[in-house]
Amino acid sequence: MTDYGHDLLFGVFATPVAQQARQVVDLAVTADRAGLDLVSFQDHPYQPSFLDTSTLLAFTAARTERIHVNANVASLPLRPPAVLARAAASLDILSGGRFALGIGAGAFWDGIAAMGGRRLSAAQGVTALGEGIEIIREIWDTDATGAVNYDGRYYSVKGARRGPRPAHDIPIWVGAYKPKMLALTGGVGDGWLPTIEYLPRGADSLPELNARIDAAAHDAGRDPAAVRRLMNFMNVQFSSAPRGLLNGPSEAWVDQIAELALGHGVSAFIIGGDDPSMTQRFGAEIAPAVRAIVERERRPAAPDRTQGEA
Amino acid sequence: MVMEIGIALDVSRLAHAPQETVALARLAEERGLDLVVVTDGTAQRTTGLDPWTAAVWLAGSTSRITIGAPAGGTSPPDPTDPEAPYPKVQAKAEDSLDILAPGRIISNPAGWVVAPPDAKPEDLAGAAESDLPVVVPVHSREDVERLAALVAGRDDRAGVRRRPAAVRAHRKPGIDYDGVPASLAETVVEPGDPPYRALSSTYLRGGGPGLVLRPRTPAEVSDAIGFARRHRHLPLGIRSAGHGISGRSTNRGGLVIDLGAMNTIEVVDPARRLVRTGPAATWKQVAAALAPHGWALGSGDYGGVGVGGLATAGGIGLLSRNHGLTIDHLRSVDLVLADGRQVQASREQHPELFWAVRGAGANFGIATSFEFEVDEVGEVGWAQLALVSTDIEQSLRRYGELASAAPRDTTVFLVTGQPRDGLSTVQLFAVVDNPDPDIVVARLTPFLELGMLARQQVVMTPYAGVMGSAADVGPDGQHGFGEPNSRSAFVPTLTPEFARDAAAMLRSGAVYFFELRAMGGAIADVAPDDTAFTHRTPAFQLAAMGQNDKRLTAVWEPLRRHFDGLYLSFETDRSPQRLLDAFPAPVLERLRALKRRYDPDNLFRDNFNIDPTGDPAAVQEARA
Ligand SMILES: Cc1cc2nc3c(=O)[nH]c(=O)nc-3n(C[C@H](O)[C@H](O)[C@H](O)COP(=O)(O)OP(=O)(O)OC[C@H]3O[C@@H](n4cnc5c(N)ncnc54)[C@H](O)[C@@H]3O)c2cc1C
Repeated sequence: MTDYGHDLLFGVFATPVAQQARQVVDLAVTADRAGLDLVSFQDHPYQPSFLDTSTLLAFTAARTERIHVNANVASLPLRPPAVLARAAASLDILSGGRFALGIGAGAFWDGIAAMGGRRLSAAQGVTALGEGIEIIREIWDTDATGAVNYDGRYYSVKGARRGPRPAHDIPIWVGAYKPKMLALTGGVGDGWLPTIEYLPRGADSLPELNARIDAAAHDAGRDPAAVRRLMNFMNVQFSSAPRGLLNGPSEAWVDQIAELALGHGVSAFIIGGDDPSMTQRFGAEIAPAVRAIVERERRPAAPDRTQGEA
Repeated sequence: MVMEIGIALDVSRLAHAPQETVALARLAEERGLDLVVVTDGTAQRTTGLDPWTAAVWLAGSTSRITIGAPAGGTSPPDPTDPEAPYPKVQAKAEDSLDILAPGRIISNPAGWVVAPPDAKPEDLAGAAESDLPVVVPVHSREDVERLAALVAGRDDRAGVRRRPAAVRAHRKPGIDYDGVPASLAETVVEPGDPPYRALSSTYLRGGGPGLVLRPRTPAEVSDAIGFARRHRHLPLGIRSAGHGISGRSTNRGGLVIDLGAMNTIEVVDPARRLVRTGPAATWKQVAAALAPHGWALGSGDYGGVGVGGLATAGGIGLLSRNHGLTIDHLRSVDLVLADGRQVQASREQHPELFWAVRGAGANFGIATSFEFEVDEVGEVGWAQLALVSTDIEQSLRRYGELASAAPRDTTVFLVTGQPRDGLSTVQLFAVVDNPDPDIVVARLTPFLELGMLARQQVVMTPYAGVMGSAADVGPDGQHGFGEPNSRSAFVPTLTPEFARDAAAMLRSGAVYFFELRAMGGAIADVAPDDTAFTHRTPAFQLAAMGQNDKRLTAVWEPLRRHFDGLYLSFETDRSPQRLLDAFPAPVLERLRALKRRYDPDNLFRDNFNIDPTGDPAAVQEARA
C-alpha cells in the first residue's frame, strides 16, 4: 500500500482541435462549473490541426474562474525554458495562482525539426530537460540577486533578467516513462504526469515506476511525497457493465480510483474523451464519492474505535 | 474619417496590479472604445508580464474589443538560447489567437499609433491621419472614462460598417477591398472576418482566398463578376458546393465567388416534371426534395457534390445507365456572362451556349439556375458491398465483363486501393433501378464472385437514400487541405491488358483511391455532338488519386494506351494536352470560338480552361 497523502485532484484532458476551438473552450468552462480541479491540453506545436497550447491555456484560464490549467505536457524542445517560465509566471499572476507546469522532454522529432527545433536522442533530451527545469526555476526566483547566468550542455545564457515572479509556487509536473526520466522526476520534479495507456502494464506497472521515482527522491535527499503522482486516462467511458479501468458504471469508477489513490499513491485523475456530460458526471458523482472514501480511509485508527463502541 | 481609438496597458502595470488593470480593458470595452493594446515599456526590468500571455488573457477576458498583441521577434531560432522563441511556434500562436478571438487581433506592433497620455481630440485626429488605430496609455478608470468621453458621439459612417484595423490587417495585396460593390458589401468575407475560415477550404483542397464574394441573386452575381473583371491579375474561383477536383473553387490570395446562398429547389411544372435548382444545392438536397413526388434526377455517387459543378460538366452516376447523364436532363440554364449580362440558354435560346455549358460550362459563365426534366423513379435496390480479393487483376477483369453486360437498370461502380499483403478490398456501389427485390438480388449476385464477401448492405430505397449518407457541411465549413492529385480517363472497353496494368499500378502503392464508374446504356443514346461532353461510348470512366503527384504520373502514364479521352471533373493535371483529351480537336475548336465570343478576356479559367487565343504559350501562362 502506497499513499503519499496528497489532496485529490480531478481534471480533464481536452484535445485542442483548432476546427473546434469553441467546443474546446466550452469544455474547460464546463469542467470549471462542474467543480473539477484541472483542465489540461497536450502540446504538439507541429500538429497543424491543433491550437497553440500556450495560447489556449491563457485563453481558457481567462474564461474560467476556479479551475487550474496545465499543459499535458509542454514540449520543451519547442518551448525555450526562459520563454516558458515567463509565460507560465505571467499566466499564474493573471489567473491568481491557477497554473501548473506540465513538461516533457519531447517526442516526434521529425515534427520538432520541421518547426525549427533540434533533434536530440532520448538520453540527450533528459539532460536538456534537467537543464531546462533549472533555468525555469532561476527565472522565477526573483529573490536571488543578479541576472541569470547558465552554462549547460544544451542551454546557455548570460545576463537573463529574472521574473516575473509567479503568484504561487508553480508545481513542475514531468511526463515520464523510462528510467532516466523517472529518475529526473524523482530528483527535481514536483509531480509525475504519465498516461495510464502508455504504461507497459497499465496500473500493474505503478509499484515499479513509483519505486524508481521514490528511490531517485531519496538519492536527492527529498521526501518521495514531494512528488505528486498524477495520471491521464484516455479511454474512459460510463457504461452499464464493468468492462475495464474507468469503463463501467460510476460505482466501478469510484472504486477503481479510490484503489489507485490508496494503493498506489495516485492523487490526480485526468480523463480524456472530450465529452461535456462525462465531464459533469466526473465532477458531480465521481470526485465527491472518491474523496469521501479516501478521507475515511486516511483517518488514523479513529474509525475502528467508533465501530468498536457502536 | 472614422477613427479607431483605444487604450494601451503596459506589462509592468499588469504585473503589479493585474486585476485592476484587466478591469480597465473591460471598462474600455463597455464604454465602446475600439481596442486595447499591450505595450512593453519595461524591456530591461524584471517585473513585466510576458506581453503575449497578457494579450491572450485580455482577449479571453473581453468579448468584442480588438486586442493589440505585440508578437515576439522573428530572429532565427537558436535552440541553445533559452530566451529565443521559435518563429514558427510564435506564428502558430498568432494564428491560434485569431481562431479563438476571430477578427479581434492585431499582432503587428506597427499596427497602431500611441498618442501621449494627455492627448486632446485634435491630437487623436492627427495621429489617426495614418489610418491606423490610435491608443492612449491609461492608468486608472478615470483615464478610460476621459478618453471615452472624448470620442463619444463619433460620427460612424452611415450604412456600411468599416472593418476594424484588426480585420484590415489581414488584407492581401492587389484587392480593392474598399471598392466592393454595395450590393455585396453586406455578405462579402475577407480574411480577417470571423466566418472566413469556414469559407477558405473546400472538400478536397486547402485555400486562403483574398476575398470571398457571396452573391444572393443573379444581379449580385453580375456585380461580383464586374468586381472580378477589375482583378484580372488574381485567380478567380467559382464555387457552388465546393466539391471541385479539377475546378479550383478556392485559391490563395485570389477571389472566390461563392454561390452558397443560391440553393433553392422548386418544382416548376409537375406535369412535365420540370424542376428548378440553384447552383449550390447539393445532390443530397435535390434527391430529398424529389423523393416525395416519386421522382429522381441522376447525379454522381456522392450526395455532398453540388449542382453547379456537376451539371456543367457531365454527371456520371448510379442512375446513368438507365437515365443518362445529369446534363441530358437539363432543359435550360440561367447564366451570368463575363460581361455581366444575364442570359438563359436552352435549345431555343443561345443554343450554341447551351451546347457548350453541358460539358464545358465552367468556361462560359456562372450558372445561377438550372431547369431539369427529372424522371419517375420508384424504389431502387441500393447495395454497398465490400469484397476481399486475392487477385485484383482477375477481379477487375471480371468486373469489367459483368458491369458492361448488366442490363441498363444496373449500374455498378468499383472502388479499390493498394493491396495489403496481397489482399485487395474491393468496394462495390450499385444501384438496380427496379422495385422488385428478387430482381435486385438476381442482378447483384454475379458480382459476388469478385472476392470474398466481407460486408454487405443492400436496401430498397428511394434514390434519396442513395444520396443521403453524405455528411452535411457544418458551421465550420469544409476541411480540405493541400491539393488533390487526381487522374481521369475513359476506358473504351475493359480489356485483360488494362486489368493487368491497372493491377500493377495499384500494387505500386502510388494510388490510394481508384474508382471505375460503369457507363454505357442510356449515356450512349445521346449523339456525341448534342453536348460538349462528347465521350458517349466508353464502357468506363476511371479516376485515380495519389498522395504524390510525380509518383502518380509515373504509374499512370503506362496505362495511357488503354484510354480514349477523359472526363474533366477528376483530372488535376493542367498540361495543355489534357484539354485535347477532354475535348477532341473539332470540339475544342468549336468551344474556343464560343469562348472568344462569350469570354474573350478569359475571366472564367478555374476549371479546364479553354484559352480564347488558342495560343499554347498563353495556355502555359494561364497555368502560372
Ligand atoms: C466525393 C466526390 C465524388 C464525386 N462523384 C462524382 C460522380 O460520381 N460523378 C460525377 O460526374 N462527378 C463526381 N464528382 C465530381 C464532381 O462532379 C465535380 O468535382 C464538381 O465540380 C463538384 O461540384 P461542386 O459544385 O460541389 O464543386 P465546386 O468546387 O463548387 O465547383 C467546382 C468547379 O465547378 C465550376 N462551377 C461550380 N459552380 C459553377 C456554376 N454555378 N457555374 C459555372 N461553373 C461552376 C467551377 O469551375 C468550379 O471550380 C465527385 C466529386 C467528389 C469530391
